[in-house]
Amino acid sequence: MNNFGVIEIASTTTKNTPGWAYVPDTGPALPAALQPTNRKRAARNQPALSLSDLSAREENKIRKDLEALDRDNHRDANIAIPPRPAGSKAQNKHTPNVRKILQSQKTFANHLDDYQAMLALAESNPAAAAAMNAAQAKPSTPTAATPKSASPAPAAPSAAGASKRSAAAAKRAAAKEKQEQEKKKARPTPKPGPEPEAEAEPPRPQEQDDVEMTDANNPDAQPAPTPNTEAALQSYPRESLILPAYAKPPPQAHPGDADPLLASYIPPFPTDDELRALMTAPPLSYLEARATWGEEERRYPVRVFCAVCGYWGRVKCMKCGTRVCALECLEAHKEECVTRYGL
Amino acid sequence: MSSSRKSRAAGLPAPSTTLVLDNGADTIKAGFVTGDTTDGPRVIPNYLARDRHRKTYVGSELEKCRDFGELAFRRPVEKGFVVSWDAQKEIWDREFFDDKAPQRCDPSETRLVLAEQPNGLPALQTHCDQMVFEEFGFASYYRGIGPAFNAYQDIQAIFQTPRSPDTPVDVPAEVILLIDSGYSHTTVTPIVQGRPLHQAIRRLDVGGRLMTNYLTRLLSVRHFDMRNETFIANEMKEAVCYVSLDFKGDLEKTWKGTRGERREDYLTGAGIAKDYVLPDSHTTFHGVVREYEPGGDSSRARKAAVATEDVLTLRNERFVVPELLFSPSDIGMRQPGLADLVMQSLSALPIGLWPGLLANIVVVGGNARLSNFIQRLQMELLERVPDECVVRVARPEDPVVSTWLGAAKFAKHEHVERLAVTKQEYDEHGAGWVARKFAAGLGVDA
Ligand SMILES: [Zn+2]
Ligand SMILES: [Zn+2]
Repeated sequence: MNNFGVIEIASTTTKNTPGWAYVPDTGPALPAALQPTNRKRAARNQPALSLSDLSAREENKIRKDLEALDRDNHRDANIAIPPRPAGSKAQNKHTPNVRKILQSQKTFANHLDDYQAMLALAESNPAAAAAMNAAQAKPSTPTAATPKSASPAPAAPSAAGASKRSAAAAKRAAAKEKQEQEKKKARPTPKPGPEPEAEAEPPRPQEQDDVEMTDANNPDAQPAPTPNTEAALQSYPRESLILPAYAKPPPQAHPGDADPLLASYIPPFPTDDELRALMTAPPLSYLEARATWGEEERRYPVRVFCAVCGYWGRVKCMKCGTRVCALECLEAHKEECVTRYGL
Repeated sequence: MSSSRKSRAAGLPAPSTTLVLDNGADTIKAGFVTGDTTDGPRVIPNYLARDRHRKTYVGSELEKCRDFGELAFRRPVEKGFVVSWDAQKEIWDREFFDDKAPQRCDPSETRLVLAEQPNGLPALQTHCDQMVFEEFGFASYYRGIGPAFNAYQDIQAIFQTPRSPDTPVDVPAEVILLIDSGYSHTTVTPIVQGRPLHQAIRRLDVGGRLMTNYLTRLLSVRHFDMRNETFIANEMKEAVCYVSLDFKGDLEKTWKGTRGERREDYLTGAGIAKDYVLPDSHTTFHGVVREYEPGGDSSRARKAAVATEDVLTLRNERFVVPELLFSPSDIGMRQPGLADLVMQSLSALPIGLWPGLLANIVVVGGNARLSNFIQRLQMELLERVPDECVVRVARPEDPVVSTWLGAAKFAKHEHVERLAVTKQEYDEHGAGWVARKFAAGLGVDA
């Protein structure tokens, strides 16, 4: 009657049963569209999945699901502000700014769109963007007659300058990301050998693991040594004004100090100039601060789960692409699948 | 900086009372600092809630609500930022400004220290500043990012670093990597001497709301429709969810098996399965966690039928929900998990800062209460950093009010005098000037 067959996800150790297959969960099969760029690796990790594995319909479903998970109420709730209780403060007359703010029906998404549009405008027409900015930030108070130029300008960049920079920063973001990925590739891998000039004695007691988990609720937790080591003294500039604590006297000598196995490499500490630049740099924009997938994340296969019970999704419904774990959940899924997509 | 000091000298003396607000998407943390006295914080629901009998509760009025079934919400804060000021003003008025407000103050004689989320939109920041001065009329005001306020806490006490009692507490702390995992999202903020390193702040859009909604979805697919029961699902999440330290193992232990047979671990519950008794909204109004009854679902169902209880057995729901913090791609989100988020933040900084930051990671926000959270983060970070790196992750005793406590300490620190803006200055120079002054922060050498 139907072809609720299941795509067989081939791998080296499948146990064949008519119509479906187990796949070892070492490399959970991954939707190709969620696994971008690195085709060579992808090809190695997901032998049987084609690039078309995640259909537009599935892609769309993920997007809708995520939107739903972001909502505050399942249904749209229109909750009016209830009348004030007795003894409330009398409402004062609102200023024009306040009236505008209170009447605004904009959502966060609207404001974000506005902001992105303003950045785009700043890129193409800086003067117009600056005017828009200035108009927005004027106090309603009549006493605010002071022209902008007369105000003691704080050290921060002007609003127009900031947005221009943000626009430029946004533009640079792509290039920067690329650069950073290069950098990451070149990142000193976790194996710095005993470098002669940094040969230093870590303060850790031998028997103690170099790692401590400290939970304030756990009084037994042993705090790990702080990095005030002799090595720190050598490589962290004594003359640092910004982080003078790094020049505190070194801890007492420890018998383990001479042990080459405990020697550690301490990277050079940034100069005061570098620190100053970092500490005074302006904030990133909302979207710039949002983390996205880097090389690291792309490397790991995306995990796929059974839509019914939540175990690994080792089997796929031919009809709609939904993943399930095994026959029992597949049967449970069929009922819903028929209702939704017909036979 | 000198210019602002001059203009302050010309104005009135700073108010003696400070209202400290951490205005979160789910709760407001509010209290006063007067001289050396710190009062609070009170934790106030930051929403209007309407129950199924169509009664609406504003902010702390929710205390009077008994039946949380089908509770609907209207929140002034969206994505961590105040968007809907008519609702926010209503809540603030009733909590702080009305004659009978539980924490009444007169803004014209009060300084406001307000914590905001990092990387806000300039227009929303301007709205906030305009409301503070033009509507509420605070005498003095500072708006700063929540993570940075945590640096004013005694951080080494959180790590329980041994020291002699006469060692002075360094405030603000020298170096911290502050993770704030709240209702709207999770941020990573490296902080040096109280100054956030803005270029390295990173955000993961996974927070308490997403996790509660995800739990609600799982329960609705597997048990019964909970989609209008956000409040109840949220309580359930807080009561039963935990961060797994062995995800594969735990998933294995909670799998029923292939057709027919039931695996041993599934039958016994393997220490993971828990029963959750839902409130019946007549005699009980909060859910209750019970040990799983290995008698199997049928015997329990019989008993439940007699007691007319709605009981859910929670298995992998307990840990796949918090797993979203560490593996957001599990639901198709293309963002890194928390450990990679930390690594992305560090990669924006000179490698010489890494050891100090990795050895001083502090996790605050409501999600930090999930058990095993800091252990899992530590475990995953150790897999990513050089072997000899010390990784210390800790959370304050009450991670929900940590930002508030830090902000209250900040309100007593001399830094606040350098950063706060008076109403007079606002009236003279405008909102743009105020925004620039806040954005400029402390600077380094002043
Ligand atoms: Zn299943
Ligand atoms: Zn299907």
